[in-house]
Amino acid sequence: MIHETLAATNAVVTLDVPLPDIFWGWFVTMNMWAKSIGTGLIFMLFLLLRKNAKEMDGLRTSATIISFIFMIIFLLFTLADLHQPFRMWHIFFYPHWTSAITVGAWMASLFVGIEFVMIAIMLRKEKCILTKDSTGTFDKLLFWNTLLAIPVTLYTAGLMAESTARELWQMPTESAQMILAATLTGSAAIILLGGSKLSDETKQFFGAILGLSALMAFIIYMSEYIFGGMKSEETAAILAYVKDGGEYATMFWIGQWVAYILPMVLVALSRVSKSNSILTLAAILAIAGLWVVKHVWLVIPQLLPMS
Amino acid sequence: MQLGFLVDLHLCMGCKGCEIACKVENEVPLSTWRLRVKYVDVGTFPETKRTFTPLRCNHCENAPCERICPVSALHYLDNGIVNVDKERCIGCAGCVMACPYGAIYIDPETQTADKCTYCAHRIASSMMPACVVACPVGANIFGDLDDPKSNISHYIQDNRDVQVRKPEKGTNPHHFYVGASQVNLNPLASRREEGYNLFNKITTLPLGGHHE
Repeated sequence: MIHETLAATNAVVTLDVPLPDIFWGWFVTMNMWAKSIGTGLIFMLFLLLRKNAKEMDGLRTSATIISFIFMIIFLLFTLADLHQPFRMWHIFFYPHWTSAITVGAWMASLFVGIEFVMIAIMLRKEKCILTKDSTGTFDKLLFWNTLLAIPVTLYTAGLMAESTARELWQMPTESAQMILAATLTGSAAIILLGGSKLSDETKQFFGAILGLSALMAFIIYMSEYIFGGMKSEETAAILAYVKDGGEYATMFWIGQWVAYILPMVLVALSRVSKSNSILTLAAILAIAGLWVVKHVWLVIPQLLPMS
Repeated sequence: MQLGFLVDLHLCMGCKGCEIACKVENEVPLSTWRLRVKYVDVGTFPETKRTFTPLRCNHCENAPCERICPVSALHYLDNGIVNVDKERCIGCAGCVMACPYGAIYIDPETQTADKCTYCAHRIASSMMPACVVACPVGANIFGDLDDPKSNISHYIQDNRDVQVRKPEKGTNPHHFYVGASQVNLNPLASRREEGYNLFNKITTLPLGGHHE
């Protein structure tokens, strides 16, 4: 701005007390991260069903349970982040449907409920004999829950878009990033879970999804990093926190390397060397790195004074 | 009826009377403000001047806080005021993230969202907001924007430099300024440097609690 750079104007704030604190901190990061794994696993399970249903046998129960656990983590952190957690029921009794929070809470609750039924079906049948009927019901529910996983994944992007004050979070970009976060961590999680139950070919298939998700997400982040500030003064001011000397510059690049760059390289290496252990390492890094990436992007717009 | 506010910055002298009146009227806790006055120093010594800008909720026509609130704790009143129901609020801080004016805070005592309500309780009793009454120079002009004969409507008609904060956000604020420049309305138009404040190292309570 011209006012702060010209000697004639040279504007300096001498008394202001903008509201302090990062209101959405690591609890919300945990929310986004755990949800990505929870819904991502369902996406991948459905892909596996379509690609090679025979390899589903050992994974239906375990993958759904892991997804369920991460969805519970997501819900618990969402609840813990509320300043009035015991009023959570207001969302269901006084819903305000223009809010992405309301839509997300309803969708996620339904999603977790269906997952619970899917797990119950599999556990009940495993005690007896695993019949075609039980897996058939499971697979039908998996189809509907995969559809439901889309809005559950995307509602946070809607929430970020509704956060009018935070110029950095734009809707088309954030929705793409949310889906890519789900496919990245979902493919990573199923590689880790798959073990000997998945063939090398299937593992490489999920490795390709992991690598491509990392590549796409990295391209979007770099596009915003380089070009984001060129059209908006506010975005430029926010991105300064992750550029040279910025408070979150180191953390931003650690996230980009661990979540995207290294997994991309490792996926490529695993394809060349046909090494499952390299692919496993890529999966672990992607899951860990995504937390850092999400956290930085969540926090930096909150550092900017609004007044 | 569409209630609105206008601050004539030509008149404001930064006495903070409005800020104190608001604090007292609404029992605003320590470290939080429904209304505060920002000081910005402009120029290079000895050619300097100080500007004053009272900041409060803009009671937007297209309020992002109302849209994002999952339980309608933030809601419109018939007179255009964006009100907050503290009994309904779940403290998700969505409104804090949505408000482009930084006008909403989490009350550290009730752990719910709070902000300026244009003193809706006083309006209901046909009284003016506390800040209007307290202003010694009449810089705060309050009234019905739908009434062309109201004082605020006359003020808007008579002045060419009527502005709102961040018009690019599309919120259609019902809070106007006369005599404002970029340093008054745009937070990015001035530097914030430790050591240049009238009160340095201001202590604030941890409003976000565990959210750091």
